[in-house]
Amino acid sequence: MSDGPAPASALQEFRDNLLAVPGRIVATAFRSGRPVTDRARSSFVFGNVFLHLHAARTHRWSLRWATTAGLGIASVAAFLITLVTGVMLMFYYKPYTDVAYDSIKDIHFVVPTGRFMRNIHRWAANIMVVTVILHMARAFYTAAYRAPREFNWLIGLALLVTTLGLSFTGYLLPWDQLAYWAITIGANIAQSPREVTDAIGITATFDIGGLQRMLLLGSDIVGEEALIRFYLLHVMLLPLVIAALMAVHFWRVRKDGGLTKPADVNARMGPAPSDVYPVFSEMPAKTYHLAAVVKGRSPAVDGGPEQTVPSMPHLFYAELGVTMLTLFVCTALAMVSDAPLKELANPMVPENPAKAPWYFLGLQELVAFSAFMGGIGIPMIVLVGLGLIPYLDREREGTGDWCGGPGGWPLVQRSIAFGFSASLIVETIVIRYGWLREWFPDIPQLVITAVNPGTVITAIYAAYSLWLVRRYNSTRAGALGLFTCFLCGFVVLTVIGTYFRGPNWQFYWSPSDWPGH
Amino acid sequence: MAKNKWLLLVSSLGVLVLLVTAAVQENLLLEWQQIQAQARAEDGPIPVQLRQVVNPTLRTADRCVSCHVAMGPGEQAVTGPMMAAHRPVVHDPAEFGCTTCHGGQGRATTKIDAHGAAEFWPEPMLPPAMSEAGCGTCHTQADVPHRAAFNLAAATFARLDCASCHRVDGRGGTLRPDAGGMEGPDLSRVGIAGWNREWYAAHLAQAKSAVSGPWQSFRPIADDDRGRVDAFLATRVGAPRLMAAKSVFLSSGCLGCHKVNGVGGDEGPDLTRAGEKDPARLDYASVPGGRSLANWFRAHVRAPSTVVAGSLMPAMRMPDADVEALTFFTLSLRRRVVPGTYLPRDRMRVERFGAREFAADGTTLFGAFCAGCHGAEGEGRRAPGMKPFPAVAHPDFMSLASDALVAETIRRGRPGTRMRAWADGSTGLTDADVTALVQELRRMSGTRAPAESRPARWAKGDPAEGGRLFAGACSGCHGAKGEGSEAPALANPVLLEHATDTFFAETIKRGRPGTAMHGFAQPSTVHRALSDAEVEAIVSFIRTLGGRS
Amino acid sequence: MTVKPGTPVSRLDPEQIPRRDALGLLSLWSMATALLFATVGMLRLPKAAVLASPSKKVKVQLPETLADGEPFVPPGRSMAVFRQAGQVYAISTVCTHLGCIVKASAGGFACPCHGSEFEADGTVRKGPAPRPLDWLEVSTSGGALVVNEGATVKPGTKVNV
Repeated sequence: MSDGPAPASALQEFRDNLLAVPGRIVATAFRSGRPVTDRARSSFVFGNVFLHLHAARTHRWSLRWATTAGLGIASVAAFLITLVTGVMLMFYYKPYTDVAYDSIKDIHFVVPTGRFMRNIHRWAANIMVVTVILHMARAFYTAAYRAPREFNWLIGLALLVTTLGLSFTGYLLPWDQLAYWAITIGANIAQSPREVTDAIGITATFDIGGLQRMLLLGSDIVGEEALIRFYLLHVMLLPLVIAALMAVHFWRVRKDGGLTKPADVNARMGPAPSDVYPVFSEMPAKTYHLAAVVKGRSPAVDGGPEQTVPSMPHLFYAELGVTMLTLFVCTALAMVSDAPLKELANPMVPENPAKAPWYFLGLQELVAFSAFMGGIGIPMIVLVGLGLIPYLDREREGTGDWCGGPGGWPLVQRSIAFGFSASLIVETIVIRYGWLREWFPDIPQLVITAVNPGTVITAIYAAYSLWLVRRYNSTRAGALGLFTCFLCGFVVLTVIGTYFRGPNWQFYWSPSDWPGH
Repeated sequence: MAKNKWLLLVSSLGVLVLLVTAAVQENLLLEWQQIQAQARAEDGPIPVQLRQVVNPTLRTADRCVSCHVAMGPGEQAVTGPMMAAHRPVVHDPAEFGCTTCHGGQGRATTKIDAHGAAEFWPEPMLPPAMSEAGCGTCHTQADVPHRAAFNLAAATFARLDCASCHRVDGRGGTLRPDAGGMEGPDLSRVGIAGWNREWYAAHLAQAKSAVSGPWQSFRPIADDDRGRVDAFLATRVGAPRLMAAKSVFLSSGCLGCHKVNGVGGDEGPDLTRAGEKDPARLDYASVPGGRSLANWFRAHVRAPSTVVAGSLMPAMRMPDADVEALTFFTLSLRRRVVPGTYLPRDRMRVERFGAREFAADGTTLFGAFCAGCHGAEGEGRRAPGMKPFPAVAHPDFMSLASDALVAETIRRGRPGTRMRAWADGSTGLTDADVTALVQELRRMSGTRAPAESRPARWAKGDPAEGGRLFAGACSGCHGAKGEGSEAPALANPVLLEHATDTFFAETIKRGRPGTAMHGFAQPSTVHRALSDAEVEAIVSFIRTLGGRS
Repeated sequence: MTVKPGTPVSRLDPEQIPRRDALGLLSLWSMATALLFATVGMLRLPKAAVLASPSKKVKVQLPETLADGEPFVPPGRSMAVFRQAGQVYAISTVCTHLGCIVKASAGGFACPCHGSEFEADGTVRKGPAPRPLDWLEVSTSGGALVVNEGATVKPGTKVNV
């Protein structure tokens, strides 16, 4: 350093430089210096390739637990955990049908920490699905999808689909009975457009279902080709896709001015508590606006930096806290519950019941009537509906508030009641009395494809939602009702599929009532 | 924002505690670690590490030796709880591993998983008392005889005192102090390794030239007994209990309904790989004992329809020892795919060169294919809910039935009954087998083929009159149109084609003592005596049955 | 707290951390410890606890015609077995330099990779090999000759057969 007396000689200087190496490595790595000043903290954030997806300052509103419940960060944490444990598992996993199952057994029994890693991987994957769905619900209920965040909502949907894809492709890899038959069903769902093309007689010329299945399996059976494809998707393609989508997702959050806040947020927050570092009120001396290099919004949208705190360290404590909590939950679950490994896949003996991962069991419940509608039709309707929400709801009322908008919490409560009862009633009828095929054995498949419990429930929900739009004279009210209803339907169908369906997809009150096979 | 810091602190400490717990569990508390910690070699404690026997060709990676250390290669000297060395066997456990013979899950390292008692393990260990069933994983012994022949051969070998010089199946062949330490070779495995077919001449020559020692005690052996000794040696394959069980299987008529290796009937399921049934998929509601495949088979042999609802298999009413033997043998039906270099000769003979698992003599054939329905002695059987199975070895039947009728009945079966056509190419029985079976029935019934003095068709009675008499006297049991209900169907093309009029007439007159069929030549409390002319009329009527008017 | 809440402060002014943040530091350190512990645990994973390779013991059937001092290399194995005056010994043909397979002949061993040469008893004649070839443990079991590729013995150890 320049302070202190000049070195006596070049040798002396060499020695001094050598001694100063550790300190200089740190100083050159973290160029902002110790984060003791506000500016140093800011540059700590934007001078770091990993952290600069955050804004340098965070609004106090965003740090309230009730704002987000940390669900987005928990999803990222779960993803990182699956990433690390997944790479660990790749040391030993062999994606070949004749050894895949054995390699999983080896991971379970002889690989040091292998069983623990696999359990954590499995639990983190499940938790990621849960948190992603809840995160989406949070974004919906706080109306966070509204301008300027419409497209980020669509990216979020893509992330949801990719997450489910990652989970589903991972399901096959152990090559046990559970995996084999779940994937067989999944592949045949991909083929289910044939249900429609068969009915209108164009399968010979236009076989989109067969093509989809072929692309997924790489063959006409679930075999080696399918395993290697699922492996490729699981460890390479989908992780790359999800990482890219996540980067865009976060970057847009930052570009759109952080989290959604109510219009009167600054007034609502009140004075900062004493343990918060200075909360600033002065306008920044320089913004991107002033630099005039970008058109659009700066990180501090909707006003100056008042009520903001430095992201370093306030936001990071929250993020690290949620991350460690997620890790804790995964580890705890991994210690009490082993990831399942059933017997080796046997193409001759179907699992009965052959159940997909739990988050697909709602769809599987619908698939029991129409493979196309349950597996492709209704999921597409739901996805398209979700995607349209930010473009149809252009209102401003209630942005940033839980259940914000016309109707509010009472409307959501009523919708919960309606959503549960509608799906339960339809399911009760189906379970008690059967469906069209039982009543009219000769009914054409096309009619069942069009009219089945899935489409009926969807139609009821849609009608209810339209009624809400009229009743409250607000698209947001309709969206609130529809989203709530679909969540309830998802829960009802998933619970029935998970707990109340036994061999031959018959209804049973408890697995202990299943007939011996 | 202190609560975020608290969250971070508590979560981190929680993770740390969990990780430390997991580390302790994984590094100190595992089952095999604790077992190995107590084991001692000659030079002190053994290193605590995972041990295994790997054979890439057989695709085994057996970690059994992580607990059963002394069974591992080169570790016989290890002592401690659970430490016992494997007894010397043909297949070195260091090469073949453990699960190849014993079943179970070699890749597992915990007892419950390795022994297969846990859910989802398709293949639990074979019960220790039935370890020999593991031989069936690779081996398939051909030409095993009926239990009668098997027991006779064993008894002959014992009676001739061969075991005083030869060691067989771990018994006999004691060293004689006055005999220069010599004893006969061990015969336990000659059924596979082969033996000198001229042994008798060699023994005689040795005995003649001997002046002292055990050779002097060698006595000439009768031809019949020599044949039995050879038959006994043929079954010495190192698995005496399994061979005995197989001979019981081949005497219980199982092949009449079940196929093994492509041979047998198909009323019941193919048993070729029955020993690999997944025990987790079976119903144990009415199975006494634990949830094991062996218990399931036991219960199933005793009362099939209570174990498998709707099973058509009649209860076999066997002594417990036979139930055990059948269970044992069924467990041995494993037939794993064996890589070429390990494929044993006996299996190759059976699977590639058409050798059959049973001896081709009539007794064995009858025992293997017929005894299940017609009874071990051909005495017939009755099972609830089924038409009675005829007493095919009944002298009154066999003395009237021509060889052609019996042979043709076996070949073409009796449509409408459970007697299938046995020569349609799908059962594995050959024409020679049918002939042997006919001869066996002649032997069992003590009859010879009827000498026929009259032409096959001589009855000239009035079918209408016969029909009236038939309706009165016969239709109660044989059905109005001879379709059979309680008694066998008469409107049967094979019967009508091959049975002579004499057969029908004499059967009507004499009846079948021991069955519900009376002799109609004599009056009884329920019917009057029929005259010869009336019998002839009935025969003529029978000829009109079955659409052959 | 050097600054009271609500007091305007320029973000360009350097400003001190108000007080030792014990809770924050403690939480950060406990997180670091937990993650470090997890990393150490994960680092154990890549080291296999069991090897997938089969037993190193090889049954060897020496040809009847094998002359004294002629090497016999069992097919697919990296060892040379010798018979000499009714005794048998085995020398590993794995070069002690960098593990190439040396070519065995009656006169000695030659390595094709970097030119090491060995005498018939395995001692180095020339080349970069740092030490003699290993002698392998030979034993007889039930009349068969068994060579243990995994166990070396002192050079010169021969077994009577």
